[in-house]
Amino acid sequence: MRRTTIPFGPQHPVLPEPLVLDLILEDEKVIDAIPTIGYIHRGLEMMVERVEYTEMGFVVERICGICSFMHGMGYCVSLESIMNVEVPERAGWLRLIWAEISRIQSHLLWLGLGADAFGFENLFMHCWRMREQILDIFEKTTGGRIIHSVNRIGGVKRDISDSELAAILVQLQELGEAFKTTARVFGTDPSIAHRLGGVGVLSMEDARAVDAVGPMARASGIATDTRLIGANFYDRIELEPVTETAGDCLARVVVRLREIDQSIDIVRQAIEKMPKGEGLPLENKPRGNPNGEVFTRLEQPRGEVLYYVKANGTKNLERFRARTPTFANIPAMIKLVKGCDLADVPNIILTIDPCISCTER
Amino acid sequence: MDGTAFLARVEDYHKGGWRLALINVTTVLPVAAAHGAASAPAAGAAQAAGSAQAARAAPASATAAPAAGASQAAAEASPAPATTPGDAPAATETPGLFEMAWAFARDCEFETIREQIAAGDTVPSISEFFGAAFLYENEIRELFGINVEGIGVDLKGQLYQTATKVPFSHAAIKARLAAVAAAAVKPS
Repeated sequence: MRRTTIPFGPQHPVLPEPLVLDLILEDEKVIDAIPTIGYIHRGLEMMVERVEYTEMGFVVERICGICSFMHGMGYCVSLESIMNVEVPERAGWLRLIWAEISRIQSHLLWLGLGADAFGFENLFMHCWRMREQILDIFEKTTGGRIIHSVNRIGGVKRDISDSELAAILVQLQELGEAFKTTARVFGTDPSIAHRLGGVGVLSMEDARAVDAVGPMARASGIATDTRLIGANFYDRIELEPVTETAGDCLARVVVRLREIDQSIDIVRQAIEKMPKGEGLPLENKPRGNPNGEVFTRLEQPRGEVLYYVKANGTKNLERFRARTPTFANIPAMIKLVKGCDLADVPNIILTIDPCISCTER
Repeated sequence: MDGTAFLARVEDYHKGGWRLALINVTTVLPVAAAHGAASAPAAGAAQAAGSAQAARAAPASATAAPAAGASQAAAEASPAPATTPGDAPAATETPGLFEMAWAFARDCEFETIREQIAAGDTVPSISEFFGAAFLYENEIRELFGINVEGIGVDLKGQLYQTATKVPFSHAAIKARLAAVAAAAVKPS
């Protein structure tokens, strides 16, 4: 049979960011997919050679607009561990709270995009309306909606007062209640089940073979979660990885739906357990220049992120490397696309929650 | 590096149920060079770009001795070319030395294998044990110029670059249509 090659992207209705997959088709079946990236490669990793390490944190936040808080946090945690700086307790808890709120924000954003991709525009608007409330919380507490810039090496820049934290928790819990209606649509609507159920099935063995991370792996039944390492105060939080066993597109949606509830609960636990009061220390300023190297692992909304930082005792780092969850999940995506129908490709690509800016840096 | 011994270690990780977490490349500087770079990092980078271009131009004519000499001097004054990975293949006057790290994760555990690689060395691919390695290996070959041999899905230098320079230009589309028309007359 004659083969046809269809370029998927760089511009495509379901892709907010440019990615090219050359889909090689036999009839309607995809038999191979060849990825090309590089449309938004900005060389941010090489900027460490020109930008001082104190300022690099703000550059790192700009790797991606959706997980920007956790990129900044990962960079600061790496530098803190090289320079042996201990973060004040309240600052550590504040970071954890912001990290979990940004996970809710990211999942709501993705659920909206996913709904839009399978043709449910109303659902898309509901998800993004709720995400807007989360962005308001960010604006109120950090000053920025997308790029927050509250992380410093050694702590955080701004405090959230105890009364404000209580108000945020109430707001999040109300949002969680209101979200149940929306979540029910995702879980029970027959047209969604028809569109996503049984599509793009990644078995547990395959997920291990392609080294999937994050919700992608958890939807295939692998109980992996980098938060379980316990760093950054996660050891004081009760946390059970959200897993599903079906491994199809619908399971990946359900994992993210349930993780929103989980994150709201983590914020509740954090607010209960963090030290209360005004004027507590928020920042231990580092002294001198960093010297040494470290690998840091965090759980971003899309999965495990890895940072490698190497410092040589000067004000410029020698090497900074971020391996983002999308980069780790692209092999899984290519595996899923092979053998599926052309019409299912957009949904499969979206359910890995691709972030191309993160992938290319 | 000892390829066989290295692959045997990778196989152990594969059998032990580890997951490939990262393949990372770092440039390694000799001690003296690291101090040189420390004194003038910004200026050093600018000079490095200049000297790398000089090195590229030098082989074009055998009488380019002064230019080669100048680039040598620049390299001695600032051995920073090794810190500019993009120019690694071109920076022939100071052979780049890299450290590659293969990082593996299993639940909360995390381990790395580290090897020192000279610029011209060939590194064996670990695709046969960890299928997801192909993305890292293609990226390393394109962005650092390190030869990785036997990549499972070889993208032939087109992960960051498209096969045609401007894929959707009029000329490229015309060429593609012509190719399709030429293929259509043959019985398939």
